[in-house]
Amino acid sequence: MRESGRALWLGKKVWSFLVSLLVLSVVVFWVSRLAPGDPLVSYYGDRVQKMSPQERQWAQEKLGLDEPIPVQYLSWLRRGIQGDFGISYKYKTDALRVVRMRMGNTLVLGGLGFVLIFVLSILLGVFCAWHEDSLGDRIITGVGTVTSCIPEFWLSLVLILVFSVFLGWLPSSGAYSVEKGGGFSDRAIHLILPVTVVVISHLWYYAYMMRNKILEEVSMDYVLLARSKGLGRGKVLFCHCLPGALPSYLSMMAISVPHVMGGTYIVETVFSYPGLGTLAYESARYKDYNLLMLLSILSGAVVILCNMAAQAVNEKIDPRLKAREPAKDWEVRGL
Amino acid sequence: MRDRFEIVGIRPQPEPSPKARAEGKRKKPVPALFLLGLIAAGCLACETIMTRDPSYMDLKNCNVPPGGQFFFGTDTMGRDIFSMIWYGGRVSLLIGIAGAAVSAFIGVIYGAASGWAPSWLDRLMMRSVEILLGVPDLLLLILLQAVLGEANVWTLSLVIGVTGWFGIAKVVRTEVRQIRDSEYVAAARCMGGGFFYVLVRHLLPNFVPSLMFMVVMNIRSGIAAESTLSFLGLGLPLSVVSWGSMLSLAEKALLTRSWWVILIPGIFLVTTLFCITSLGNELRKRGNRRESNL
Amino acid sequence: MDDKILLDAAHISHVFPLTKKIAVRAVDDVSFQIRKGEIFGLIGESGSGKSTIARCVMNLCRPDSGRILYRGIDIFDSKEFRANKSLLQKSRQIIFQDSNSSLNQRMKVCDIITEPMRISRMTPARGSYREEARTRMSHVGLDERYLDQYPSQLSGGQRQRVAIARALSAEPELLVADEPIASLDVPIQAQIANLFRRLQREHGFSVLFIGHDLAMARFLCDRIGVMVRGRMVESGPAGELFDDPRHPYTKALLSSIPIPDPIRERGRKVPEFREEEFSRDGEWEEISPQHFVLQQRRRGL
Repeated sequence: MRESGRALWLGKKVWSFLVSLLVLSVVVFWVSRLAPGDPLVSYYGDRVQKMSPQERQWAQEKLGLDEPIPVQYLSWLRRGIQGDFGISYKYKTDALRVVRMRMGNTLVLGGLGFVLIFVLSILLGVFCAWHEDSLGDRIITGVGTVTSCIPEFWLSLVLILVFSVFLGWLPSSGAYSVEKGGGFSDRAIHLILPVTVVVISHLWYYAYMMRNKILEEVSMDYVLLARSKGLGRGKVLFCHCLPGALPSYLSMMAISVPHVMGGTYIVETVFSYPGLGTLAYESARYKDYNLLMLLSILSGAVVILCNMAAQAVNEKIDPRLKAREPAKDWEVRGL
Repeated sequence: MRDRFEIVGIRPQPEPSPKARAEGKRKKPVPALFLLGLIAAGCLACETIMTRDPSYMDLKNCNVPPGGQFFFGTDTMGRDIFSMIWYGGRVSLLIGIAGAAVSAFIGVIYGAASGWAPSWLDRLMMRSVEILLGVPDLLLLILLQAVLGEANVWTLSLVIGVTGWFGIAKVVRTEVRQIRDSEYVAAARCMGGGFFYVLVRHLLPNFVPSLMFMVVMNIRSGIAAESTLSFLGLGLPLSVVSWGSMLSLAEKALLTRSWWVILIPGIFLVTTLFCITSLGNELRKRGNRRESNL
Repeated sequence: MDDKILLDAAHISHVFPLTKKIAVRAVDDVSFQIRKGEIFGLIGESGSGKSTIARCVMNLCRPDSGRILYRGIDIFDSKEFRANKSLLQKSRQIIFQDSNSSLNQRMKVCDIITEPMRISRMTPARGSYREEARTRMSHVGLDERYLDQYPSQLSGGQRQRVAIARALSAEPELLVADEPIASLDVPIQAQIANLFRRLQREHGFSVLFIGHDLAMARFLCDRIGVMVRGRMVESGPAGELFDDPRHPYTKALLSSIPIPDPIRERGRKVPEFREEEFSRDGEWEEISPQHFVLQQRRRGL
């Protein structure tokens, strides 16, 4: 009984995940084809201008761009299900391979940033909640609010200006330098500035959330009980309040993965960091359709997965959410 | 026997003393408001403040550091940054406000519709919003921008508004659903109040406070989005002066070490964003206070 | 006799689906009548379907079957409803249990009280809406300095008075009071109950009073109906019902009232009402004029 219930639950989730992805792919496909601009440019470069109409016709047929949009979509879908996402017009190779080459870089940058944000925000949040309304809390709150207002691209510019241009300590672009060949330390040095930007521009949002969650938790009665049993302040905070606040915090973090991801994309562009962000930017600008589709589906999948994870966590914490529409939902009729 | 109870009048309750009221008053973000007002006023009155034509390229004076002749220096194309700040600020603020207006319009209508709809339609509408949220904002912006073609102030506002209404729609929908089931709406309907009566008298006043916060925050993200897009070369072209398009010269400025080209517009941008944020936070706190008083 | 009947509810049934398989029979074949100028009480434990009936009477909820005639108008017939819309909406008013959620927190008392008048576009007899609100407030014993306050600034009893004033401002003929005093504390309950009686005597409207407080029901009501699990098991004039209860549930219910005398209270034997012995189907029988009982068919007999 329980087993089948769980399987049913899982099946439902997978089903809605697939449907969401399908809808997403339709939307992106349709919108990107509507956009003006010539996808042939990204394949043939400047040669397009010199092409005769016959050559154009031939090129379009070759890339499968001459058919009506629904037909194009269906053939894309048929091949996509078999794992063939077409070729990237610009890189003239399998789109999947292009993505796979760049994915590592983005995962390192985004993942490192995410982990740092997670750890630091908990530390900062706990610190601020512990010293609520003290000088330290107020200073951190002030600074945090300011940093959360700085657009990522400008923060990147300022850091490049200070640390690369004036001080010359850190490299300003790329994932590794060509002459040093991309060893571990070389890559690490190239990561410092981008990761800093990702962390700083998102940190306070989460730290503030953590702070408020803890403060909310601290005001509950069970804390009073724990204190009256003789537990120390620190022990209550770390053994009772923090675990109490964590699940809802986790779900918040999961929901905001797309924010961090979007931020990573911008940071990558500013630092010319060879990741998915720069790739997405290029592909959208130069109508590299297949690549664009693959990237949208990928990021969409990540986002939807994260949302579902968050929902699952929330349902675990609060079973009421599962039956969201109670029977009390009577309709006002006859009026 | 039946009249043994006596009708007791209602005891007058003591008025809250003025002292208690003063405590209830919290400090307001006066400095933020003041700064924001200053920047906005400067942008509105830019004609009188500007010392030079902001679009005039003085090729003899490229990359001049801040000083007596040019208060904030000139950019790599020889334009006077001091004049550009006020002139461009007007465009940036305008885009922020127009974008927020667009998203508030779409969000309120969509959210209210979803809140009133039967539950299957509501679920469908909210699920589609979630899917749209699944697309990273930047990608959506690029796509829309590509559809609308060469950007100008209005298409950019439209694009920013169209990508920013999801949050508002969700908030409005939740509020509407909550209020819709409340007894005072039932009572109003018993008295014969129609849909529009209920909407105007009961629904709107209840979600306006939370809506205000969302709209203010949307102004903020609209300004930020404008600058980001223009910086990436996807927003306003160089010839239309705004804080974002000023910063799109940053790459060149990095090469020539002209820090003022990057720092000065950015500082104005960040200050404005910060002021709007504190304003929004104040609004949210005020809204919450109302709620917790209930 | 017949023309004095204001509201005639016949064989009302309503089922709430909980899930696809389970459903709750909230109201099951309930009939009752309310005459002009009388207070009819519906009592029963929570979940016995009292509020659903109130909602049906107010058109807030459409019963699955059954018919309600209000002054001869079938209120669930959309044609007749539309033809008499303004009459129906003006002359029936409801008071909810929770005054906190039945008043819009963002409206001032004065606006809340005159809301029915504004909706039905009545011209205020006393000059202005504000003046009207002031009069209504004096009717329900509220000081007029509350005129410009918000509901959150009032106490529970004051809020309930505001709700009553709002209902009365449309000069209703039928007032549906859905547990109007259940959420208040005892002295305030007494105040509000008295207020009800006084207002009813002054204005002469009929009341459908819903509650679970027996003493209060006896004090207020002319006739009482007792409900168990969606069925009405006994109905009759208040005094007779209390002095001579016939249905086992009514007996159990009445004997659960504590006697304010410790010696008698201790020696008292409380008859028990066993759920399993209660059968839903039975015949109505008129024991004495106006006093009806749902006769039990005991199992095995």
